[in-house]
Amino acid sequence: MKIASILFVVAMLAGSAQAADLTVAVRDRDGKPVSNAVVTVYPNGQPTKGPIKFEWPYRVAQQNIQFTPFVLIVPVGAEVSFPNLDKVRHHVYSFSGGNRFELKLYGHQESRSVRLPEVGAAAIGCNIHDQMVGFIKVVDTAYAAKSDAKGVAVIHGVPDGPVVARVWHPYLRAARNETTLPLAALHGAARETATIELRPGGH
Amino acid sequence: MFRRLQTKLTVLYAGLFALALSLVAVSVYLTIANNAQQQVRRELVATGAVFDSVWALRTQRLRDGADLLSHDFGFRAAVATRDAPTVASALTNLRQRMGLDLAFMVDVDGGVVGADPGKIDIDKLWRALDHEGRAQGVFVVDGAPYQLISAPVMSPVLTGWIVFGARLDDREMTALERLSAIRMEAQVFDQRGDTWVATDQIADTKALGAVVAKAMGQAISEPTRLRTATGDNLVMVKRLMPLDGETPAALVLCYPTTQAMAPYRPLMAAVIIAGVVGAALVAAASGALSRDIARPIAALEDAARRLRRGEAAHVDVRSSDEIGRLSDSFNLMAAEIREREARITELALHDAETGLPNHLAMEREIEARMARLAPGQQVVVAALGLDRFSVLRSAIGYSLFTQLVAEIGSRVRVIDPDAVVGRLTTSTLCVIFPLTALTDELVPLVEKALIDLAAPVRLGSELVDVHMTNGLAASGAEGADAPRLIEQAMIALDQARAGGRKVAVFDPVAYGDPAGNLCLMSEMLQGVANGALFLHHQPKLDLRSGAITGLEALVRWDHPTRGLLRPDLFVGMAEETGHIRALTDCVIDRAIADQRTLRAAGHDLTISINISGRLIDDPEFADRAIEKIAATSARFCFEITETAVIGNPDVALGVLARLNAAGIPVSIDDYGSGLSSLAYLKQINADELKIDKAFVLSLENDAKDALLVKSTIDLAHSLGLKVTAEGVESREALAMLQMMGCDLAQGYHIAKPMPLETLMVFLNERAAETPLPAKIPRRAR
Repeated sequence: MKIASILFVVAMLAGSAQAADLTVAVRDRDGKPVSNAVVTVYPNGQPTKGPIKFEWPYRVAQQNIQFTPFVLIVPVGAEVSFPNLDKVRHHVYSFSGGNRFELKLYGHQESRSVRLPEVGAAAIGCNIHDQMVGFIKVVDTAYAAKSDAKGVAVIHGVPDGPVVARVWHPYLRAARNETTLPLAALHGAARETATIELRPGGH
Repeated sequence: MFRRLQTKLTVLYAGLFALALSLVAVSVYLTIANNAQQQVRRELVATGAVFDSVWALRTQRLRDGADLLSHDFGFRAAVATRDAPTVASALTNLRQRMGLDLAFMVDVDGGVVGADPGKIDIDKLWRALDHEGRAQGVFVVDGAPYQLISAPVMSPVLTGWIVFGARLDDREMTALERLSAIRMEAQVFDQRGDTWVATDQIADTKALGAVVAKAMGQAISEPTRLRTATGDNLVMVKRLMPLDGETPAALVLCYPTTQAMAPYRPLMAAVIIAGVVGAALVAAASGALSRDIARPIAALEDAARRLRRGEAAHVDVRSSDEIGRLSDSFNLMAAEIREREARITELALHDAETGLPNHLAMEREIEARMARLAPGQQVVVAALGLDRFSVLRSAIGYSLFTQLVAEIGSRVRVIDPDAVVGRLTTSTLCVIFPLTALTDELVPLVEKALIDLAAPVRLGSELVDVHMTNGLAASGAEGADAPRLIEQAMIALDQARAGGRKVAVFDPVAYGDPAGNLCLMSEMLQGVANGALFLHHQPKLDLRSGAITGLEALVRWDHPTRGLLRPDLFVGMAEETGHIRALTDCVIDRAIADQRTLRAAGHDLTISINISGRLIDDPEFADRAIEKIAATSARFCFEITETAVIGNPDVALGVLARLNAAGIPVSIDDYGSGLSSLAYLKQINADELKIDKAFVLSLENDAKDALLVKSTIDLAHSLGLKVTAEGVESREALAMLQMMGCDLAQGYHIAKPMPLETLMVFLNERAAETPLPAKIPRRAR
């Protein structure tokens, strides 16, 4: 009922532009906001045709023995750079299917670029520093966003109509760490709350 | 309980020692058992700790291995790319290198690489791993417990888990057992349903399983005791952490207590052997010691028994302890007792005054000799009496007299060294001759010896004359006993003295039957009562008138078995035994009766009655006699011997005076035979004097006797006494007496004593012949 009324408001707002923002609040079972969750929306359930361009840089820096950002959304086939901002060297790799790569030791202020050709999540790690884990979500839709520290992800300009919305999180307890939201169609701006279950321990 | 002191002491000491040793052994055993058990407990706890340490070490090793592999970039690449063959080979490689029992990979989807999935409960394992990626614990694989350890494979996200496992099998436990200082049994138990079973079912572990169940149920970490068929065991149950937190497992350390005791067995054996050897030594030593104690006591006991029997008792104990001192005291006592006994015997058997053997000693000596006699042999004994004892005693005193007796005794021994001399009475010695028969030749020999013995004895400065008389007696082995033999010798001595001889052999005929004497007296009293005693009368002839004017009554006894008895056979005895009064009373009664009979026949005669010297000083008798005579107006004359007066002259003379006053004449009998005293003749108020027949019998042959008789007659007449001569046995004597002026005569020539009936006849005949004054009867003796 509540969802219906929200959808109604979104549809009313998007009615003139034919497109609206979808705001999804991601919560865990305890109701706490979950950051770094990737929400993807497929209008009519179809991937976006043509080139996709996101507003954020396709870059995963290594800073403070961490991948920054933790989760990066890139369109399929995008070139991702891995600048090393640390004083130590890193050996970045990914074993994730078609997005396998290995950037052997490179030092400070050096950068390497990798093309990620396959849709899916590429887990990246550093062979030297086990604690360094990061994820690159390679998507084939233009409508994708990552939840912020408040667990809110905002996808702009989602056209009205039927959609398939999914939530992905590296520790989401589900196949391929992804779950589909119970959202059948969008009519204007919408606010959704996605409750997901995370694996304990964060792996 | 024990009759022997030695046994008692030995058993006591050995028993006490054995008891003490038993206590020591028991306390040693208890201490050892306690120590052993505590040691086992400590060891079990220590082993448990060791096991923990081993467990931790291995866990660490496994973890290290798993971590190493899980971080290997190539391995992670192989896992991430699902390169199963590579993963499997890597696992195998590491398993072999680390000597692991199990090494496999479980991916996050539940796929297994490196192990047969059919043998592993994957769901259970996956849940455990999913719950805790770095899990470790016991997990059953293919029915056997393993220690499993897992490590997550991150590439970089979790792609699966490496699982390493070490089997908790017998080999593992044996290794653990070897680590322990004590040989224990280590087993892993896991719970199957409700029961706990050993993972390696090598033995029946039902009992053990119950202990494990209890320990696990109550979380007991201390070792507990378990009694099985093979003995006591100490069991410690240690909880093993299960991998999945559900299926519990336990490490069970079991240690048989008997094995813990095993090292102490030599000690216990040593204690027991030492105890047995010690007890044996103590038994032997206490046996020897108590023998040393008991042997002298037994010797003392034996000696005391011997002493009691009067035998020589000497204990030969040479020790300086109490027993030795007791033995010395005993020996001293025994010696003193024997000495005292000897002294008592000496006193008992010797005369204290002379030192000669006494009466008792002589009796014993005679008895001893009698016992040794051969048949037909005799023991010859003499009673050697010193004459005139009272004279000698008053002359020289008793002390010197005793010396005299002793001197005579030593003289006898000088004459015959083989003779035994003892003292029988104050004045009598006893000699036992070394002879075996009393022959007639002995008498002259003894008479000759008496001459030597009678030599004057020098006592101090004086010479004393001694006179001795000797009585001899002999007896065979079957004859009289010793006291009797001595008595016979004494009687022989009396007989010798009575017969005026120096030596006499005991004359049993003259002595009569002393044994029958007492019996005779009672018979005599019966005779007095029943008239068996009666009188014979001897007539007295009046030499002036030629008539029979008097009679002397002489008592006779018609004994029921021995016939007519003369007075000398019983009168003396009656005097000695105090029956003379009854006898005299009887005689007086008879005489009264006889006189009455004679009077009735016309013969009025004075009857003379012999009154014993024992009755003369009895006023009561005199009174009664006087009374009787007065009552019957009898005419009696009492004949007494002058010696009768000597004993108690005052009383006797008083009695005679009373008789006189009563008109009873008194006649002095047997004058001249004894110690005729003119003094008494003067004192005794008598009417008649009877000259002893000893003078009259030899009157016609001996001028001296004739002179004495004549003088006596004259003396008597001068004193106003009538004179009767006794023992007139011849006409010549009668004639001489008649010429000498004798008043009366009595004797066989005139008439023998005769019974009353014969007397009556005799008197009647005389009366028929009268008057023929001074007619000499022709009757022969």
